[in-house]
Amino acid sequence: MKTYPLTAAQKMHNNWINRYGTQQVSGLSIVASLKADLDFQLLKKCIELEIKRYGCMRVQFTKPDKNGEILQYIVKDKEYDIPLKDLSMLTMDEANKTMQSWAYNTIDGDDVPMFEIFLMKLPEGYNGFFLHMDHRLIDSCGVTVLTNDIMSLYTHFRFDAPLPDDLADYETVLQNDLWKASNEKRFLKDKKFWDDMLDKWGEPVYSDIAGSATLEASRQNHNNPKLNSADIELKNLFVEVKDYKLEAYAAKQLFDFCQNHQLSMTNLLLLGIRTYLSKENNGQEDISIQNFISRRSTHDEWTSGGSRTIMFPCRTVISPDTEFLDAAYEIQNMQNQIYMHSNYDPDLIYEEIARRYGTPKNTTYESCYLTYQPLPVKMENPYLKDIPLYCKWFANGAATKKMYLTVSHTEDGGMNFSYHYQVAELNEKQVELFNYYLMRIIFRGVEEPNLSIGEIINIV
Amino acid sequence: MSIEKQFKELVSQYCQASPDELKVDSRFREDLDFSSLDFMSFLGELEDEFDIELQQERIVNIRTIGEALSMIQDLQEAS
Repeated sequence: MKTYPLTAAQKMHNNWINRYGTQQVSGLSIVASLKADLDFQLLKKCIELEIKRYGCMRVQFTKPDKNGEILQYIVKDKEYDIPLKDLSMLTMDEANKTMQSWAYNTIDGDDVPMFEIFLMKLPEGYNGFFLHMDHRLIDSCGVTVLTNDIMSLYTHFRFDAPLPDDLADYETVLQNDLWKASNEKRFLKDKKFWDDMLDKWGEPVYSDIAGSATLEASRQNHNNPKLNSADIELKNLFVEVKDYKLEAYAAKQLFDFCQNHQLSMTNLLLLGIRTYLSKENNGQEDISIQNFISRRSTHDEWTSGGSRTIMFPCRTVISPDTEFLDAAYEIQNMQNQIYMHSNYDPDLIYEEIARRYGTPKNTTYESCYLTYQPLPVKMENPYLKDIPLYCKWFANGAATKKMYLTVSHTEDGGMNFSYHYQVAELNEKQVELFNYYLMRIIFRGVEEPNLSIGEIINIV
Repeated sequence: MSIEKQFKELVSQYCQASPDELKVDSRFREDLDFSSLDFMSFLGELEDEFDIELQQERIVNIRTIGEALSMIQDLQEAS
């Protein structure tokens, strides 16, 4: 069996598993169902076929070597158990609680399948499947592709719809990714970009959602009044989720602003977050935020599955005199350069920082993590368009990050701001304040883009 | 393979259009639906594929297939 090293995106999840000592941090779960009498035998056949089509599902990992390194390989022929779970006698809330408990499970062991999938009978006439999978094999875009493909296979066999196109071969795309990562010339260009930033600005400095007290506490813990990084919570990983909706008319104001000024929504959100962090940290100008990007650009990258989401620090140094719109362009410029150098392994950025500045282990420069998901997660299948859907993501219950904000679009044209936060570090009030000020800052800037960042901080 | 053909084959991996459908005035963002990430990843791949070094000040002015192709040709000639 041919084995391969992990990609940078897979390593990111693997490092979290090792750091926090549990695979739970790498769990990803979803239920996808339709309000219809599904033929479960047929659905099972479609899922079995999907496992053959979507190579990422058949990825397994070797036993760690003496250095703790693991390799991946793709299993060719294997039978997978796909049991039926009947929760139809429960209420939907009770069914959700049961499925949520499955999402907390860990997939442990070497050389074992890294997913489980159940056929689901749900309350209120919904039927479908529940998927629990390791994040090293798939990310949210990949799950959307998988869900759509299973339903396309189902409608092909059930209603004679066209057979969906083949999905890209996971192994081929993996080989291409690893080849790109080993390109010496590309590597040196990427390294230069990240190193130049340190040459220019020096060591990054931590900024906390709740103000400067966190960094001060870490400085005391480490007996180092000049420490620039703050301690990470390693023991209590329990996470709470809080969602805030933005109405369609308000969201439209943001979309229009982005369109009129050739800005991306990610950069507007990054500006809002960095302004809040600056406000809470005594006007700090040097702010870093972790931004997730999904490295999917080509057709093959879109349909091959795999974990292609990776995070890079978006670091900007912006003075309070800078106008809101100019600050947005500064962030956009930085993000564009990061995109161009996103084949780099982010671990190497922090290795270089630690080498230069002696960053203590288990400390961080970032308190906020952002993911912007431009596409709503839904089944796009014309044969199912009039059938009510029930799809739900389940958090794995273990946060590796202090606060992780996922911004997505809703079916009605609005936006959803979903905050996952470590309860050991933050409380609901702090998250609510964060969201309140984030909205105030962004809308004030959108209404008067010539106001300076300092003025906006004072006004809100 | 000509530079133009090689270039268009690369572009078509990022969009719905086949190499033959790509015109010199096709715009990356508006016509071919490139996101910022797509465009910047694509530029990185151009550097590797054609062994060139892109300059930031030229990148920001590229809107169309023709402009990108002409930039590659200029850089290759210069080197």
